[in-house]
Amino acid sequence: MKRKVAETTTEVGSESTCHVETESIEPNRSEDGDERPTKALKSDSKNKASTTALVRPLKVSNKELYKAPTPEELNQLKETESLFHCSLLKMQMEELLKEVVLSENKKRMVDSFVLKITELLHSVPETPVVELSDTTWLSNVEVPFILVPESTKGKFHMEPPTSVAMIGSYPLGTCIKPRVSVDLMVTIPSSVVHPMDAINQRYSRKRALYLAGLAEHLLSSKEVGTLRYSCLHGNRLRPILLLTPPGKDASSLTLRIHACPPPDFLKPGQLHPQKSKIRTEWFTGIDSPQPGGPDVPTPHYNSTVLGDHLPAAHLQFLSAVSDQCGAFKDAVALLKVWLRQRELDQGSGCFGGFLASMLVSYLLTSHKVSNHMSAYQLLRNTLHFLASTDLTENGITLARSPDSTAPSLSDFHSAFPVVFVDPSGHLNLCADITAHTYKQIQHEASLSVRFWDDPTMDSFQALLMTAKPLIRTYDHVFQLSGLAKMQSACKKLNLFSELMDHSGNYVRTALPLLLSLLQRGLGERVHLLAHSLAPDLEWPVTSEPPKHKDQPPLSFGLLLKSDHLASVLEKGPPADSPQAEEFRQLWGDRSELRRFQDGSITEAVLWEASTACLKRLVPQQIISHLLQLHADIPSSCIRYVGGLLDDVIIVRQENCGTGEEESLKVVQSYDDLSRKLWQLENLPLSITSVQGAHPALRYTQVVPPVPVRLDYKRFAREKNSRALVPQEGKPCPVYITPIKVICHMEGSGKWPHDRLAIRHIKAAFHIRLAELLRNTHKYPCNPTATHLDVWKDGLAFRIQVAYQREPQILREVVSPDGMLLMRDNPEAQALELETQHRPLLTSTLHGLQQQHPCFGAVCRLAKRWLGAQLFSADVCEDAADLLVAYLFLHPAPHTPPSSPQVGFLRFLHLLSSFDWRNSPLVVNLNSQLTVADYTEIKNDFVASRESLPTMFIATPTDRKQSMWTKDAPSVQMLQRIITVAAESLHVVEAQLTDATLTQDVRVAFRPPLDAYDVLIYLRPKQVPLVESAVDPPNHPPPRGIYEGSVTGGALPVVDFDPVSLYLIELREAFGDVALFFCDPYGGTVIAVVWKPKAFTPHPFKTGMMGARRVEVTEDKPSTVPNVEAILLDFSVLGEGLVHKVVPRTEKWVV
Amino acid sequence: MAVPNKKHASQPCVIPGGFTVLDIKFTKNSPAAHQLFVKEHKVRLEKTSSRPLDRTLFVLNIPPYCTEDVITRLFSQFGAIQSVELKDKPGHPEPTEQKLSKYFTTKQKQGFSVGYIVYTKPSGVTAAKTHPQNVPLIVSTEDHPVRTGLHKWIHQYSQSFVQPDTLQQAVDYFMSDYDRRKEEDAERKKKEAEQQEEDEEGWVKVTKGAKGTKVRPHSEAADKRALEKEGKKTKRKELLRFYSWQHRESQREHIAELRKKFEEDKQKIALLRAQRKFKPY
Repeated sequence: MKRKVAETTTEVGSESTCHVETESIEPNRSEDGDERPTKALKSDSKNKASTTALVRPLKVSNKELYKAPTPEELNQLKETESLFHCSLLKMQMEELLKEVVLSENKKRMVDSFVLKITELLHSVPETPVVELSDTTWLSNVEVPFILVPESTKGKFHMEPPTSVAMIGSYPLGTCIKPRVSVDLMVTIPSSVVHPMDAINQRYSRKRALYLAGLAEHLLSSKEVGTLRYSCLHGNRLRPILLLTPPGKDASSLTLRIHACPPPDFLKPGQLHPQKSKIRTEWFTGIDSPQPGGPDVPTPHYNSTVLGDHLPAAHLQFLSAVSDQCGAFKDAVALLKVWLRQRELDQGSGCFGGFLASMLVSYLLTSHKVSNHMSAYQLLRNTLHFLASTDLTENGITLARSPDSTAPSLSDFHSAFPVVFVDPSGHLNLCADITAHTYKQIQHEASLSVRFWDDPTMDSFQALLMTAKPLIRTYDHVFQLSGLAKMQSACKKLNLFSELMDHSGNYVRTALPLLLSLLQRGLGERVHLLAHSLAPDLEWPVTSEPPKHKDQPPLSFGLLLKSDHLASVLEKGPPADSPQAEEFRQLWGDRSELRRFQDGSITEAVLWEASTACLKRLVPQQIISHLLQLHADIPSSCIRYVGGLLDDVIIVRQENCGTGEEESLKVVQSYDDLSRKLWQLENLPLSITSVQGAHPALRYTQVVPPVPVRLDYKRFAREKNSRALVPQEGKPCPVYITPIKVICHMEGSGKWPHDRLAIRHIKAAFHIRLAELLRNTHKYPCNPTATHLDVWKDGLAFRIQVAYQREPQILREVVSPDGMLLMRDNPEAQALELETQHRPLLTSTLHGLQQQHPCFGAVCRLAKRWLGAQLFSADVCEDAADLLVAYLFLHPAPHTPPSSPQVGFLRFLHLLSSFDWRNSPLVVNLNSQLTVADYTEIKNDFVASRESLPTMFIATPTDRKQSMWTKDAPSVQMLQRIITVAAESLHVVEAQLTDATLTQDVRVAFRPPLDAYDVLIYLRPKQVPLVESAVDPPNHPPPRGIYEGSVTGGALPVVDFDPVSLYLIELREAFGDVALFFCDPYGGTVIAVVWKPKAFTPHPFKTGMMGARRVEVTEDKPSTVPNVEAILLDFSVLGEGLVHKVVPRTEKWVV
Repeated sequence: MAVPNKKHASQPCVIPGGFTVLDIKFTKNSPAAHQLFVKEHKVRLEKTSSRPLDRTLFVLNIPPYCTEDVITRLFSQFGAIQSVELKDKPGHPEPTEQKLSKYFTTKQKQGFSVGYIVYTKPSGVTAAKTHPQNVPLIVSTEDHPVRTGLHKWIHQYSQSFVQPDTLQQAVDYFMSDYDRRKEEDAERKKKEAEQQEEDEEGWVKVTKGAKGTKVRPHSEAADKRALEKEGKKTKRKELLRFYSWQHRESQREHIAELRKKFEEDKQKIALLRAQRKFKPY
């Protein structure tokens, strides 16, 4: 299994390995598998197109710009300025609409197909009258109906329909691509149905039989491609017949045949939500003990039957509205796209396109919006209306003057959770929608309105173009499989009458109650509890309808509140209050009386969780407890997806979680050190600031430093300072990260104005600081010219003294005529990065961690992935942290992640889908950038795109340079990162959502190694971080540490990592010939790729002869890399560390 | 290996361009060898005397594990060596301003380097150039093992410790030197300034002065500041929205701005359309 995925990853990878020289950065937006195979074919043409596909600064001649405007033009310009945010949005919407509306060609095809089918339908042969339960006359097809209870009274026969007409979105003009479906209404002749058929599903069964009769007839026809059954929005009482045209058009068009009763079949008043249309005796099969007893109302059943009567009337109503308002169609189309991206438009209990158009009509007819508004304004107003109106409390109605038999709004509210009444006044259009789905819609709408008001972001992209699959939207997700258990849940929850109302569909019956139960239990912990809409089932006409329990598992999503993540206690009401009983009832035996520090004695529930990663999973405990207690659903049916990825960043020591606690300890120790530094006396100059400049000090170090106690016997000693030194021939000692701290000294006239002198003064400061720290606090110290290592609390801090003006002094150049010039140079930049920018970034991101407790964990997952896929050298730690910060600061269209898992998924999505080529990634840290700044950054970016880094990240303090991505990644590497990220996202999401996949999620953290030319395998014993690798060895080598608490003692071996030393040497020696990749977090393989450019024979040049050999042809010496010798050098340079060098390709044999 | 013909195996291998190819192996048993390219050092304008033309051997492609000591050992078989200089790239030797203690020199790259070997006699150069290719130079021998890999790194790590006193001494030495230079400089400046002053009789001695030094070096930043100040001044004086033509102008600007924006957006859209960015799913 493992190998299989590795292969698929490389397949995509090898298509664009680092060898490809001319490849552009094309964000990979194909997540659905079907686009991928064609990609290879397309890539040629894509490359050609992309050479020109770059936004360039536009040059418009002044004459063009300043010519006198015509009134029309003036109008148009003004309009776009006032109606839309900018003309860009208007054009984007127009383009989007062009993509989704049906072309004329398509319409012609649809019309001709519908015509053919209509003829066919009219020619349905008549059959003799039989008993309703007798289905022997159907020879080839099954009835699309679950016949429970089996017997019903009544007669049935087939007869050609009285009329066949198109209904729904197609005649209205709001039908959109893809998955074009055209609805066809077939009216059942009145001789087939009987006015009493509304009772006991008789009508519904006749309807299903009628459809089966049609299917049987159509099955023999050549005009029909495939023929399947489905049911409308998952309602098993309303089966529909799906048919596609034969041949190649099959996938692009689906015809949905609805059977409808004759127009005057039933009076709507009969189907009032409080009437009962299903008899208990019939449904249970037992004679009720009191035959005269009141029947329970069956609102859902009634609205189902009523719904069949009204499509034609609804279409008429909508067409009338559409004729009045020019932008209606476009607005509905946009709304449908919006719904579709949020997975709200399909499945049982969905808010589909029909409801969308009804809602827009409601706004138009009630004059909440004007007929003259543009599509954009209609969409915006609709979303605003959704966000601000709670249909679960205050229902709305389209009926102007309902007749006296129509139910009142309060009647509807008592029967349904969400109320939106149709123009007739009798039907609740939202009958199937659960309150939680509506809350989800409201949440999405209010988010969208908020994003739309933010001028700094590309709201079009976020709201209409980005899909929001459940797994990437919600912090935690869980699935209920084994839906048969819901049947017992119904029993336990005492839902018999509801079950009857839903005609035995126990999943739909139990769902609302389960949701409200969980909502009560989760309470303050969640913003939103959403559930997936069970997808519409489809099955071939020749097989029986699937059972309720055969549905795919139900998924639920949780949006967590980050400020309640850490609490492990549910504090209930005081023991003697009346609510206490309710509380006890909810929690069962988990509820216990507790006395609190403030003296109160209350009911409370305490969950077991010691670390942050376990605390995040408290909702899992709550959910499984409540479902077991109240619904008899065992925890084996619950697949909770919330912490599956935690395993990758877990700290592998006793009682350690995912590193939050360890990072906190580091920060506390650092704070202490910083305080002690401030308090030092007798320094020649005072300290002006102490700043951390290390990922560990912003909670984002992949392997956070853990205090260690050393076993001195396993080390050699340095002669003078008695510091520990690694022993030769022993496994490499434990890696102790030096945590960098920048210590700025006060500016003063005493500082020399000379670069070398400053360096010496800094060294003197290191010596002095070491002396003071050793004397006052007894910390072992090791001062050097560049830094000072301090050993404190089992952690090593590396203090570096800095002088504010040093970078300026490095930049100073005196021109020959005595002028003092400032010239930027790499040395000054590097120093500035080290002493100013990195500390600033560290403190800013530290602040972000305080707002979002899982920021650090997401960063660590992201960097772990980058490392594991061998991209660490290309995306530096700071850049990766900034990318993650972007997810938290600019989460649109989502909310900021509150779990590492969802953050990581969005990180992969960001990497793979961002348009790196044409846009800068602006990370607005501390919200310092204004709209004007954004525009300026974008303009600067466009003006000099070619000279800027391929991955451009702008921050408030770095608007023009993108300092963290200046040197890497290259175009080719970025392309590879994009491809691998897309593939990883695909794999991880599949692993998380599909319970049947048995691999673990680590597959995304195992790099494909087939694409590399040489693999250098290292001895795990000498790789100090191998214990924290993605796949750690079973028997970790001895590292010279004890378990347990920390003591002082001699200075340990700090920052000794043979792998990184080896990599430095390799890159310095062979950087011209090859690229070297390694996982810095315990990787035991170094992968090498030859640079193709180096392998073309060069003429002999004294400047570039490194590692090459000469070949003489026709008296002209040319040079190629001396591969045999280089391979040998790999082992020579890594003597003791390298296990073996494996050349994998013969590419270098020219 | 294309070059060495079996025929000339015991002969020196000279390639067009005048370089002699020498094989260099890490150990005696290494299956593969790097090639050193040696030639007498010949440059038209050699300013320094550290590389006398007739006695200096120019060596290309020296592997990273060869330190100056190793090179000295390897090449002393051709004659007594006066000095060895290894560099990243061929070129003039950098004038070293002053001697820095080893703690303050920046670390050299450990890549393939070029070398300038100065023999005491010109014969060393010729001997090296006529060395046959099939007798490779051996870097690491039993008598003189060369440290690489873990050995080297552990050695480096233990060498990286400095006694604070020694470091302090190095700092003190440099700083006193620096102070002395500073003082001398100040002295010299003072003297120059004195010369500019009137003597008792009111005469000023006009001298050319040291080349390129002025009494007060002006800086680029100061120049810029002055210019900015000037600009602000003129701007303040300007009247805005005073004349009707100014109003007209600003309206025209606004329309032009909108048009420009429109054109830009159109271009963006066209680009996105080309990339098929408008397919929502």
